[in-house]
Amino acid sequence: MLQREEALEVARRLVDASTADETEVVVHGTRDRFARFAADGPTQSADREGAGVSVRARLRTPDGWREASASCDGLGEAQTLRTLRRACELAALAPPDPEQLPLGGPVEVRAQAADLATVEHAFAEKARWIAAATAACRAEGLVPAGLAQTLGTSRTLVTSAGREVHASRSRASFQLTASGPDFVHGAGFADTRAARASELDADDVVRRAVHKAAAGREARSVAAGEYTVVLEPNAVSALLLFAAYQGFGAQDVAEESSFLCGRVGQRLFPEALSIDDDAHAPENPALPFDGEGSPRRRAPLVERGVLVGPVTDALWAHKLGCANTGHGLPRPNTSGPKAEHLVVHPGAESLAQLVAGVERGLLVTQFHYTNLIDPKELLLTGMTRNGTFLIENGELGPAVKNLRFTESLVRALGNLSGVGRERAVAGALFDGEVLTPALRLENFRFTSTTDF
Amino acid sequence: MSSEREMDLARAAVEAACKDGAAYADARVNRLRTEDLVVKNGAVGNASADEEYGLGVRVEVDGCAGFAAAPLDDELSPATAGELARRAVAMARQLGAARTTPRPWADEPAHQADWSTPLVQDPFEVPRAERLALLLAADAAMSGAPETVVREGSLSLRREEQWQASSEGARLHQVLTRCGAGISSTAAAHGQVQRRSYPASFGGNYKSAGWEHVVGLDLPAHGARVRDEAVALCSAAPCPSGPHTLVIGGSQLMLQIHESVGHPNELDRVFGAEVDLAGSSFATTDKLGGFRYGSDLVNLVADSTVPGGLDTRGFDDDCVASGRWHVVKDGVFQGYHTDREWAGRIGEARSRGTSRAQGWYHPPIIRMTNLSLMPGTWDFDALIADCEDGAVFVDTVKMWSIDQRRLNFQFTCEIGWEIQGGKLARLLRNPTYQGNTPDFWASCDAICSPAHWELWGVPNCGKGNPMQVAEMSHGAAPARFRNVTLVGAE
Repeated sequence: MLQREEALEVARRLVDASTADETEVVVHGTRDRFARFAADGPTQSADREGAGVSVRARLRTPDGWREASASCDGLGEAQTLRTLRRACELAALAPPDPEQLPLGGPVEVRAQAADLATVEHAFAEKARWIAAATAACRAEGLVPAGLAQTLGTSRTLVTSAGREVHASRSRASFQLTASGPDFVHGAGFADTRAARASELDADDVVRRAVHKAAAGREARSVAAGEYTVVLEPNAVSALLLFAAYQGFGAQDVAEESSFLCGRVGQRLFPEALSIDDDAHAPENPALPFDGEGSPRRRAPLVERGVLVGPVTDALWAHKLGCANTGHGLPRPNTSGPKAEHLVVHPGAESLAQLVAGVERGLLVTQFHYTNLIDPKELLLTGMTRNGTFLIENGELGPAVKNLRFTESLVRALGNLSGVGRERAVAGALFDGEVLTPALRLENFRFTSTTDF
Repeated sequence: MSSEREMDLARAAVEAACKDGAAYADARVNRLRTEDLVVKNGAVGNASADEEYGLGVRVEVDGCAGFAAAPLDDELSPATAGELARRAVAMARQLGAARTTPRPWADEPAHQADWSTPLVQDPFEVPRAERLALLLAADAAMSGAPETVVREGSLSLRREEQWQASSEGARLHQVLTRCGAGISSTAAAHGQVQRRSYPASFGGNYKSAGWEHVVGLDLPAHGARVRDEAVALCSAAPCPSGPHTLVIGGSQLMLQIHESVGHPNELDRVFGAEVDLAGSSFATTDKLGGFRYGSDLVNLVADSTVPGGLDTRGFDDDCVASGRWHVVKDGVFQGYHTDREWAGRIGEARSRGTSRAQGWYHPPIIRMTNLSLMPGTWDFDALIADCEDGAVFVDTVKMWSIDQRRLNFQFTCEIGWEIQGGKLARLLRNPTYQGNTPDFWASCDAICSPAHWELWGVPNCGKGNPMQVAEMSHGAAPARFRNVTLVGAE
């Protein structure tokens, strides 16, 4: 994987060669080894590396900054210099923007380095995980599908204003969906994600997914309507990520497209709910600086049920007269800052205790294809998937056929009645991860049903 | 840089892989050039000019696939080809321990050809200042309403050059050019925030075509309408609930085709290869040739040769020639999207040629190609006039969601109108409809004529795990569906 000194040298060389008034150079590197698998074993797999450069060129005028960017794959001198020239030429055409600020100066960021053993993790070990998943599924008459992946990424940002930051991170994950052979009767999902491959327990993932699928072969129908739900972490993340995509950012609020509008400082949710954005959470460490090279800071978003306020980048911190929380995306962008590392504080209850508090309701493993209808109330719709079970009198019961929900996340979190104590890093169909426990929500709205 | 150098590198990778023990190998050099321009609220929100350039090598060793990829620099070192071939073969050998059933590939002649997107005017030759002026003019046309909180216009050019070689002797060079543009205006009033787009959401409409396509959109002429409709939606009536007759416009129907016909007919999904992320399919192989997918009016044609389609090309990433076929004919399910790996599973001797990868960095997977609902005979005004009072016309994608077997869907459109007295009457906000795929298509009783048919580009189709993005187009004219469930989503 790309080393710190090599990346810094490429970036500094381009900054020095630039004719722009201000220049920002980002050098990125990846090493990605994944093996995807299904019924017959590995399907699409890859051993791939990426390296490239992005250049942001800025020209100062009395009316504001002209700005443009260009990027290329590879780190060769000729192509990176061509990229620099393209950025400068394009910037000269852009109309001045009086809102833009000068680039920020030097900063200190936390050191972070990828685990090299994870980056170099062998395909032979991934094959062992896959073989174990396949054997366990076959023993139960099930079909496996999943992904084993190890990933290293690095990012280096150097500016003409004296900012130089570099960090790298590693990620390992293993996920398994076990299904009945017709993909209709029975399905179970489990996954694990960590910064180091050595921290993964692939056998535990196999056990959990197979158990759920086997328990779900004979699902019964339940009517659409309101249910108390216990959402496992992967179901929680499929909802909360929409507050990250559109809601917790300062620009979302300014553009009237956030559930925070007019509600900051209000107690919107029960006291049991606290949510931060924290790129430094030990269970899920991200790069320690944002897209502008600013240090990522822990940002409280919901404190004991009270909405605290949005996250910022350099521009929005300046506009609002508050601190830069370090949530900028790479510039230029039209999205504004985003809370990309949501962390839900743990509660005191085990999953069994959350279930025990339900008279009649549903346990949801995953939501599928969740999407946003209305940003002001975070009105969402999506499907249950890969393990939905009836809860009756505090006991986990039979599997149920999948349902579609149409529900406001604001309303749903307002009906929070329990927070789990064990947390997991969970994802969803689209990008993003959340560190979250299971949650129990009352009166969650399901609006239609399926036959599977 | 000449084409010969990239083709030589691809050939060198294939030869090295075969020397290392691959039974099959192919290699693709991809150079992708994009230029994007976004004007937001009168200022440049993004001006970028990007290039991707790299080599991907795919092999089969003892029935197991391997793929290795890396970026390229100007030197195009043969050592890179050899190293990637070695890594692809090594990983295939290691993963072979978990492989249970090799699948023989469908045969395909070893094509040797050049193919380029037909253009009238190369969009990259249009001066950047002219492109910017177009967006600024559109932005000015959208200004003037105090309720407007965001005005945005975008313009995107893309050229992908591909050199591909295989161990079977294929030698392919393709130059695929596409461009597109669009505008949107977002208004906030009366506690609502509403967006209206032209000509479609997802940043506009894109085609495999030259600058003539962007000129034809005439963005500035639509600025004031888009602005006013967004403002009007903030005080519009909410969408009603319950069964209604629904007329769906092309810029919405295209995503209905995409989600409820395109994806479920990708053969890898049917056999469970996408279950880990996107899901499987209700369109199982026992249904092929007999299942009623829709009413007799419904003809859905896949076509990677249709002029202007975002997946219109000469060959796919399995080196298979492009083609045209019915997925649904007279309402009956007739065909899948396939690649060479999966075609044999349903007894087809040849692949349909729908294997594609995003750039050099990803291994190819089955992707739907351009897939269109064939036009009918109705004039649009006559169709609206034929609807009963209370029917609803909706258009333009706002939100979409569909289950893992592609049956239960729910879509929200940007805009709707209640139909009264045979005409479009009051405006409806957040029109949302929900249904079941075969029931929905079976309820189609009228489709507008070729005069109303348009090819709509989807630039952001995600599939695979890790996810990769592909582009394709869907042709549609407004069509009518009976007894569709409207959801009062508020």
